[in-house]
Amino acid sequence: MYRGREGQWAFILHRVSGIALALYLLLHVVDISLVMFGPEGPFNAFLAFYHQWPFRVGLLMVIAGVVYHAFNGLRIILMDFTEWGVKYQAPMWYAVLALSVGFWLFAAVKIVPEIVADF
Amino acid sequence: MAVKPKTFQQAKVTYNTNAELAWWVFMRVSGLILVFLVFGHVWFNNIQINVAIVDYDYVATRFSRSWVKIYDTFLLGFAMLHGMNGLRYQIEDYVQHPGRRFWWKVILFTVAAVIFVMGAMTLWAFSFEEMGDAVRQLNAQ
Repeated sequence: MYRGREGQWAFILHRVSGIALALYLLLHVVDISLVMFGPEGPFNAFLAFYHQWPFRVGLLMVIAGVVYHAFNGLRIILMDFTEWGVKYQAPMWYAVLALSVGFWLFAAVKIVPEIVADF
Repeated sequence: MAVKPKTFQQAKVTYNTNAELAWWVFMRVSGLILVFLVFGHVWFNNIQINVAIVDYDYVATRFSRSWVKIYDTFLLGFAMLHGMNGLRYQIEDYVQHPGRRFWWKVILFTVAAVIFVMGAMTLWAFSFEEMGDAVRQLNAQ
């Protein structure tokens, strides 16, 4: 299962995406919390800063992390709680990749033109 | 638990194991819930709208709706517990020195607790409708 095969890549990507999402979560809660300071506070200036293209491309990568971590998480649940999950973990990982790319493309097709339009 | 722990050492071993088992189960259960909560969150804020229109008015209007407050409270709670326990796993795995491992966890839980309280306050401690009304009155004067 390990030794550089599918299972190990699934594990590494799950860790890396998980760390990235957890750090993004902390940042995201802090920036949205700035609404506490009211309409005259720092919120709008911060958001205008975030609406620059590098951050919006970053957000596309956050979405990529979300879809992979979500679908691979479902794969882990199937491996842990079904009789057949471990046996089919490798084909399931390819299904995870296919679903992730599909869902991400759905988002990217909608979001990339918005970024380009503001560029 | 077959035998009740009689010494501190036994209890430590037993309860550490049970806590880790509980977290193991929690990661699966919260993960399943978060798939739906996070996909919904991305759908509402990144697909249904252009994220670049998000400003104070957009967020204040969202937070003045009860269902958003409740939805976001579950999202905040599950995501923070799932995410911070995930980061704890990284510390347990990769910080080998016991003293440093302890302090990394102290820092992580402190930062996470402060940020969780900020998020919960944002959701529940303000009436964004009233704040919006106050602003509109000021602008009208």
